[in-house]
Amino acid sequence: MGKLFEKFPDPLARLIVVFLAFLVVGVIVVAVVIPKQMMDVSAQWADAVKREEARPIKYAGFHVCAECHDKIYETKKNGYHRDLSCETCHGPAKAHTDDPDKVKPVIPAERTFCPQCHAYNPSRPRGFPQINPVAHNPLKPCASCHNPHDPKPPTTPKECSACHGAIARMKAVSHHVQLACTTCHEVPQRHKVSPWSVKPTKPQTREFCGKCHAKDGKDKMAKDAPKIDLAEHGEKYVCWQCHYPHSPEVEQ
Amino acid sequence: MNPELIRNLHDLLPQIQGYIYPNEIEIHWGLLIVVYPYITGVVAGAFILASLVKVFNVTEVQPLYRLSLLTALAYLLVAPMALVSHLGHPGRFYEILLTPNTSSAMAMFGFVYAWYLMGVLLLEIWFVHRTDMIEWAEHETGVMRFIHRTLALYSRDTGEVAVSFDHKALKVITIVGIPSAFLLHGYVGFIFGSIKANPWWSSVLIPIVFLFSAIVSGIALVILLYMILTPLTGGKISMRCVDKAVDFLFYAVIVDFSLELVDFIHRVYQSEEEIKILSEMVMSKLFASLIIIQVLLGMLVPLLLISLTKIFKKRFHLNEDLRKMVYFVAVILIQFGIFATRWNVVIGGQMFSKSFRGLTTYKMEFGGLEGLLYAIFLLALPIIILAVLTKILPPWKEMHGQPASESAEAAGS
Ligand code: HEC
Ligand code: HEC
Ligand code: HEC
Ligand code: HEC
Ligand code: HEC
Ligand code: HEC
Ligand code: HEC
Ligand code: HEC
Repeated sequence: MGKLFEKFPDPLARLIVVFLAFLVVGVIVVAVVIPKQMMDVSAQWADAVKREEARPIKYAGFHVCAECHDKIYETKKNGYHRDLSCETCHGPAKAHTDDPDKVKPVIPAERTFCPQCHAYNPSRPRGFPQINPVAHNPLKPCASCHNPHDPKPPTTPKECSACHGAIARMKAVSHHVQLACTTCHEVPQRHKVSPWSVKPTKPQTREFCGKCHAKDGKDKMAKDAPKIDLAEHGEKYVCWQCHYPHSPEVEQ
Repeated sequence: MNPELIRNLHDLLPQIQGYIYPNEIEIHWGLLIVVYPYITGVVAGAFILASLVKVFNVTEVQPLYRLSLLTALAYLLVAPMALVSHLGHPGRFYEILLTPNTSSAMAMFGFVYAWYLMGVLLLEIWFVHRTDMIEWAEHETGVMRFIHRTLALYSRDTGEVAVSFDHKALKVITIVGIPSAFLLHGYVGFIFGSIKANPWWSSVLIPIVFLFSAIVSGIALVILLYMILTPLTGGKISMRCVDKAVDFLFYAVIVDFSLELVDFIHRVYQSEEEIKILSEMVMSKLFASLIIIQVLLGMLVPLLLISLTKIFKKRFHLNEDLRKMVYFVAVILIQFGIFATRWNVVIGGQMFSKSFRGLTTYKMEFGGLEGLLYAIFLLALPIIILAVLTKILPPWKEMHGQPASESAEAAGS
């Protein structure tokens, strides 16, 4: 120690001593004080793996079902429900695959089941098939009209409301109730089959609403529509920046 | 569910707008996490100010040197308290040091912190005060003598070799210290900036913005302390020093402001899907804290005030008291502004739903570990610690413009 103090400048030598002291304490803490189990991750994992392995297996996965229910499997594969696993609807079926005659999986036949995914809910993506379970063909089980393994809307829907329920319901109680959707949107027939790739038009200009609402509106419904001065009213903005077209309201 | 939680949620529910996922109703990173980056920011900023003296030889601000080092230390000691108190099990915090997890930025904080505290700040303070402590101890008795002796590690060597080593060491430490201070605070920004799922945080600019706002708050705080403490301890404020420090503050605020502006413009121009909900949040929930306090009162007004002293140079030079007043108001406003910045980052980042369809509200508690009282305590604690530190390592002489000791004099020149 004496040598150290001669060799280095005094302050450095003292710091080295302090540093070494920290190092020794640190090494002692790490090597002696901390329990080995705490550092050894594999021990913790091993326990976790054992714990998980001990759990009973309840799900079989849907490929197994193909062995015996090949027809249903094939039907479902190409339908709208292709992304759903069989056990999403039939519940865990491992026991059934082991002994099909003794154990039968549940069959979700009641009407409350499908609306878990299909009831109208604003947080679902636009275009996801949604229905109002109270109003949509009540009293009959869903499976009586839709094949759960290959669901289709039995026919191509005629009404826009099948897919745009919220808008249709809103318009139905609004001042624009007499206006058909197609007054304002030109809808190609293909839109109802592949709505994502073929889209209807939307009004673009102020003059469009002016057909009925301008002082000199020419449309055949124009006589019932309240009139505004197209040049002045709302200035340069398009009308739907202030009036929601599907439920036009006027605050007095 | 536990009834207290339900009661809490019940208060919040009416304040939610739009659609929000259930786990976003309550804001989990609360006031303490706001306090934490504010405090580390002060540390980094104060240290940068100190390094102006040591590395860049800005002699005008020499009176702030020791004060800023002590301020940095006082705030650094409190910084982790905010984090530890926020843990569910504060008693277990040391475990992240014992079982390092190198893939987690948060877990590595302990090491960044320890490096900065032990490897930079304490070392620098020790070297600055070593010869002083030896000298003080000679004229003292009792406890103070013991404290100074021990802190000097019983060193008594004030010879040429030792003192010149002190100076060399100081240079090296400060040079290593600047990137370390950047690391400390840049790291805090990094933690927010690297959260991919949160568009309010996720930005490469965030660490740099954090850094410059840190420099702003640190310099402003040290100026404020200097302007308060000097008259209290019977000295006279050196306007030469304050003018220079305010100069640096001014540049830092400008850089900070421009960076935030760039970030803002970039977001608006990119107009990613989240822009709607973010602008709604800024215009409603964050309007007071972001537009009014952070930008208007915390940046534009101080910038304007300081610019006035520069534009009407003659006028302000004649009237020192007026200039002091203006600076004083500016640095106080800046403190509030930077605190609001932290608030807007931390609380703002949790106020909008990841569905981008709704906003929630932050309900601050009053008592308890997450509450307002405790946060105020944490903000006051560094000042108390600083008071104790100045008892042990008085910076007054240097602040009053006298050479604190030969060593400081020599090092500063
Ligand atoms: C080893 C062959 C086998 C496998 C594998 C198998 N099943 Fe079955 N399953 C049967 C037999 C046999 C019946 C009884 C048919 C009957 O009663 O007419 C049955 C009946 C059912 C029924 C109707 C129950 C009822 O009450 O009528 C459902 C639902 C069902 N299986 C679902 C599944 C699902 C889901 C899977 C995949 C996880 C699966 N099965 C895998 C053989 C199998
Ligand atoms: C969307 C939910 C759903 C999914 C997914 C589903 N099922 Fe079904 N399954 C039902 C319903 C509902 C019935 C009852 C149909 C009825 O009452 O006519 C049923 C009936 C059955 C039956 C007995 C009646 C029959 O038609 O023979 C079998 C067997 C069966 N499902 C097997 C499967 C298999 C295998 C799969 C995966 C390939 C599967 N299911 C996927 C909902 C589902
Ligand atoms: C786990 C969620 C889930 C359940 C349960 C479920 N579905 Fe579906 N359903 C879907 C998905 C996903 C689609 C595909 C949507 C798409 O292609 O955009 C779909 C599509 C459909 C379609 C096609 C509609 C269209 O025009 O695209 C019908 C009809 C349908 N389901 C009826 C049912 C019926 C009847 C049941 C109850 C037996 C049921 N679904 C249960 C998720 C579910
Ligand atoms: C099979 C379901 C379905 C039917 C039936 C349907 N639509 Fe759509 N429609 C959609 C979906 C899905 C979208 C969303 C496309 C998107 O967001 O890009 C859409 C989008 C639209 C849009 C907006 C286009 C855009 O560019 O934003 C309009 C307008 C529209 N539909 C009008 C109608 C009208 C009017 C009818 C009735 C004549 C109708 N749709 C019938 C599914 C349907
Ligand atoms: C009486 C027969 C019938 C019953 C029962 C029935 N549906 Fe439908 N469903 C239809 C018809 C027809 C359509 C075609 C669209 C329309 O005109 O409403 C349809 C359409 C749908 C669609 C597609 C809507 C879209 O936007 O593509 C879904 C999803 C659906 N039904 C789900 C259900 C569910 C879930 C139940 C049970 C709660 C059910 N249906 C019961 C006849 C039925
Ligand atoms: C008075 C004219 C008018 C009628 C009638 C009308 N729409 Fe629209 N619709 C508009 C306008 C205008 C827009 C564009 C709004 C915008 O760009 O913000 C629009 C937009 C839409 C959109 C795009 C999504 C949205 O909400 O912006 C859909 C889907 C749509 N309409 C469906 C319908 C359906 C379905 C009906 C019939 C039930 C209907 N519209 C009736 C004028 C109308
Ligand atoms: C085909 C003619 C027609 C077109 C096109 C039309 N409207 Fe109308 N609108 C009407 C009629 C008719 C009424 C009055 C219904 C009633 O008597 O309540 C009306 C009522 C209104 C009202 C008044 C509601 C109130 O409270 O008095 C507003 C606002 C309005 N429309 C906005 C628009 C906008 C915006 C557009 C363009 C997107 C538009 N309309 C396009 C026929 C039209
Ligand atoms: C800047 C917002 C704004 C814009 C843009 C705007 N409106 Fe209006 N509109 C209003 C307000 C506010 C009222 C109610 C006060 C009033 O009567 O002026 C109103 C009233 C109306 C009325 C009812 C008048 C009555 O006498 O009952 C009609 C019809 C109408 N607007 C149609 C339109 C049409 C068509 C357009 C597009 C050419 C349009 N608006 C654009 C704000 C706007």
